[in-house]
Amino acid sequence: MDWPLLLNALALCAIGLLNVYSGTRVHGVPGTALVTRQLVWILLGVGAFFAVYLLSDGFIEETANGFFLAMLLLLVVVLLAGKVRGGAQRWIAIGAFNFQPSEFAKIAVTLALARYFSSKYRYGGIGLKEFLPAIGLVLAPFLLVALQPDLGSAGVFLFILAGMAVVACLRWKVLAFFAAAGAAAVPVLWFFMKEYQRQRVLTFMNPELDPLGAGYHVIQSKIAVGSGGIIGKGYLQGTQGSLRFLPEQHTDFAFAVFSEEWGFLGSLLLLVLFLLLVYRLFFLTVRSQDRFASFACGGIAVFFLTHIVINLAMVCGLFPVVGIPLPFLSYGGSSMLTGMMALGAAANLSRSRFTFQGGGGKGRGISS
Amino acid sequence: MTGRIRKREQDPDITRRSRLLLYVAFGAFALLLGRLYWLQVVESDRYRNLAENNRLRLRTVRAPRGLILDRKGRAIAETQGSFDLVCSPVDVKDLEAEVGLLAEIVEFDVDDNEVLDKIRSAKRSNPYSGITVARDLRFEQVSVIEFNRENLPGFSVLVEAKRSYPYGTTFAHVLGYVGEASPEEMDRSEDGSLAMGDLIGKYGLERLMDNVLRGVNGGRKVEVDAAGRDQRLVEEVPSRAGGAVHTSLDADLQVTAQEALGNRAGAVIALAPRTGEVLAFYSGPAFDPNAFARGIRKADWRVLNTDPRKPMQNKGLQGTYAPGSTIKPFLAMTALEEKMQEKGKTVLCPGSYRLGNRVFRCWREKGHGAVDMYRAIVQSCDVYFYTLGLKLGPDRVAKLEKDAGLGTITGIDLPGERKGLVPDTEWKRTVSKDRWYDYESVILGIGQGAVHLTPLEMTVGYAALATGGEVMRPRVVSKAIGKDGKVRELAPEMLRKLPWNPENVEFVRKALAGVVNDYGTGGGAKLPGIVVGGKTGTAQVASVKGKMIKSEDLPYEIRDHAWFVAFAPVDDPQIVVAAMVEHGGHGGSAAAPIVKAVMQEFFRTRFVGPQRKGGA
Repeated sequence: MDWPLLLNALALCAIGLLNVYSGTRVHGVPGTALVTRQLVWILLGVGAFFAVYLLSDGFIEETANGFFLAMLLLLVVVLLAGKVRGGAQRWIAIGAFNFQPSEFAKIAVTLALARYFSSKYRYGGIGLKEFLPAIGLVLAPFLLVALQPDLGSAGVFLFILAGMAVVACLRWKVLAFFAAAGAAAVPVLWFFMKEYQRQRVLTFMNPELDPLGAGYHVIQSKIAVGSGGIIGKGYLQGTQGSLRFLPEQHTDFAFAVFSEEWGFLGSLLLLVLFLLLVYRLFFLTVRSQDRFASFACGGIAVFFLTHIVINLAMVCGLFPVVGIPLPFLSYGGSSMLTGMMALGAAANLSRSRFTFQGGGGKGRGISS
Repeated sequence: MTGRIRKREQDPDITRRSRLLLYVAFGAFALLLGRLYWLQVVESDRYRNLAENNRLRLRTVRAPRGLILDRKGRAIAETQGSFDLVCSPVDVKDLEAEVGLLAEIVEFDVDDNEVLDKIRSAKRSNPYSGITVARDLRFEQVSVIEFNRENLPGFSVLVEAKRSYPYGTTFAHVLGYVGEASPEEMDRSEDGSLAMGDLIGKYGLERLMDNVLRGVNGGRKVEVDAAGRDQRLVEEVPSRAGGAVHTSLDADLQVTAQEALGNRAGAVIALAPRTGEVLAFYSGPAFDPNAFARGIRKADWRVLNTDPRKPMQNKGLQGTYAPGSTIKPFLAMTALEEKMQEKGKTVLCPGSYRLGNRVFRCWREKGHGAVDMYRAIVQSCDVYFYTLGLKLGPDRVAKLEKDAGLGTITGIDLPGERKGLVPDTEWKRTVSKDRWYDYESVILGIGQGAVHLTPLEMTVGYAALATGGEVMRPRVVSKAIGKDGKVRELAPEMLRKLPWNPENVEFVRKALAGVVNDYGTGGGAKLPGIVVGGKTGTAQVASVKGKMIKSEDLPYEIRDHAWFVAFAPVDDPQIVVAAMVEHGGHGGSAAAPIVKAVMQEFFRTRFVGPQRKGGA
């Protein structure tokens, strides 16, 4: 059992819970409704962690492809029958809960890639021929999510692919080629963007262009963060969130609420917790002797790293506004369950090393 | 960590690559930390200010404007609460749509487009200010607006102080009106105390006494949410109400004056001759100052300004008119003071007077026969005064008249006073190369020709006759109580004491009493029990050739101006009243009843006689 991983996540969840309370309260009115739901999500998330953690050895690897196909199917269903909210078709309603398949698809892609790369891995690095199918594997969910349209989540797939390609030892030459190609593709991407997405990019370059329109998010978010100062305004003393100046103050902009109230010191603490989480996952990546486990942990590490860095950069005005939640802090069930399942998978896979001991992996599997 | 990893049997490439990604993570986190340091430590103050600007709004609490009271302490200008629609430009989301919606509910002070411009310009210059766009909303309108709250971010209904004039048009020209301070006025205000939307006096006493009447605005610092709704009060500075202005005006007398003049154009002024206190000052037609307090509409303003009878003009001190026969007592006074003509000397009036080949008619076609000075005044004989005018010449008459206040600025404490003209030879020299002709002296005797005076000058002149030469500065304000509570009493101010011979004064006063009581032209002003002395005047506007035509039969614009100026009681004058009716016809029939009505009202509450003098 990987306690550091779970405890780290629970600490973040606790901070997130306090923060959701502060972020959803309207001035003078306690915002208990969403806090209760978030608490339920945390408990369900812990359940999901253990459910995945307790899966028998090898089960994750064996079912990775099936899981991936199932998620692809769900993404198709979302496109055909999903709920439209905020101009995008991202949700499937199950009972009272809205469920966002693109979140779960990130895990599915990670595991499927881990399985593919572990099957192709060879000493000295894999080449272009082995890499192209991996691109095809990611392209399907990427396009389905991009069509919703949710360019932010779609982009996460690319980051996971890139990160895992690094871990799975894609040759540097190929990597450099794709990096160059990716850079060249950015202007092309512009033509495929929807109008509101272009607006976001433009206002990211210069938020003052439209301070009450597209630039509003960035400006208000920076004000929230900046006004927190070194020690913050104090818990429940933030004004940007409770007076509704911040948009999405309990979901994508949760960190703005947090850093307004806890200041630079609080932000520092949060960054340390996130860094420990990512560090632990990379630690598991190199410690796992099974390649699938190693690549899966690496993918999960990249998954968290991408979310954390992009979300925080967005809140700080370093990145255009995209709908990427902050793991364990943003309100939302799909993101919470995905995060917990990902950690559960990492814990499961890193546990599995004991059973593989002596069983013999490829190469120099037996410990001395 | 590296130590432990090396012990494991993982492919060193994977380890190396993972460590690389970890370094990337370190780098990204370092970048974020740097950014946070920049925002939260270096630039923190700036963002804190921005957050405060987001959160806090300074709402002006307008100070109520002070009272203006009549001599009996009745409010003639006051401040009442009014539901006003106020816009906070920074909180408005969709200006056109919201203004469009509001236009269905309320009437804006100005046109819809002007409202848009006003808010747009305020959004640039001072987006956190409050701009009043509609005043005096009815309760139904307020509830409809509150009901549509969600669709109207940036607009709110506040209870604001509204200037109110309970007597409506009655005191229009004396009180003047208030209006929103213009940008120039805001720049000019010495202490910058004028804020956008503040009301200031634009005319009349409101303007003259603005410093006393205008209070000091307070402020409420409130916390608002993103929709601009007030959440809680953070700080409050109470406003300080404006001071009070006590006037010598008598509302009852003023109402009487207005009613007596009725719909006719003209002016009615009542003065206490010994102190110069203005008891009533009405100019008709008047305007309703209440309309200005709400912010007058362009169309209404245009109507007021294009009306040929000039409702915006204060005829009492801005209109000048030929005095007609009301000038005669001053000629008589000049003759006596200059010892140019004995009062007993008679002049034969055959109905006209010939000078060279010109013929000057007396108003009485068949003539007055032989008249002495007393009869000439009582009967208003023109021929007598033609000869007197010729005898005295313009300069002597002008000197006495100017001393008495005619053709001068009287110095009343109301803005916009104009002075009339009392012609003399020097004036003639300055305006034309021609010399002064005798016929000019002749018509000067009956108050025609170049001479023209304001009703106020005439009132002051008769007050001088009534007091025997005391020329007082006429004044409306008797006491001003400042915002700080300091009381400033305004004592009567004597401009000059003329060294008139009391006997001569006595004689003129007696003659004027005769006009009213001794079968003279002013019988229409006769009051039971009180001896009124006065003089009629019928001032020609245009000369009509040929036969005498009754003024009533002429077209309105060229009908004669009707005058009557009187004081009472003659023994101890307590009131001087002047009535001038533009194109009113005969002084005796058109103006004298107005004076009578005002005097009747004045003496209604006063006992006059040897037992008790004066009254309340």
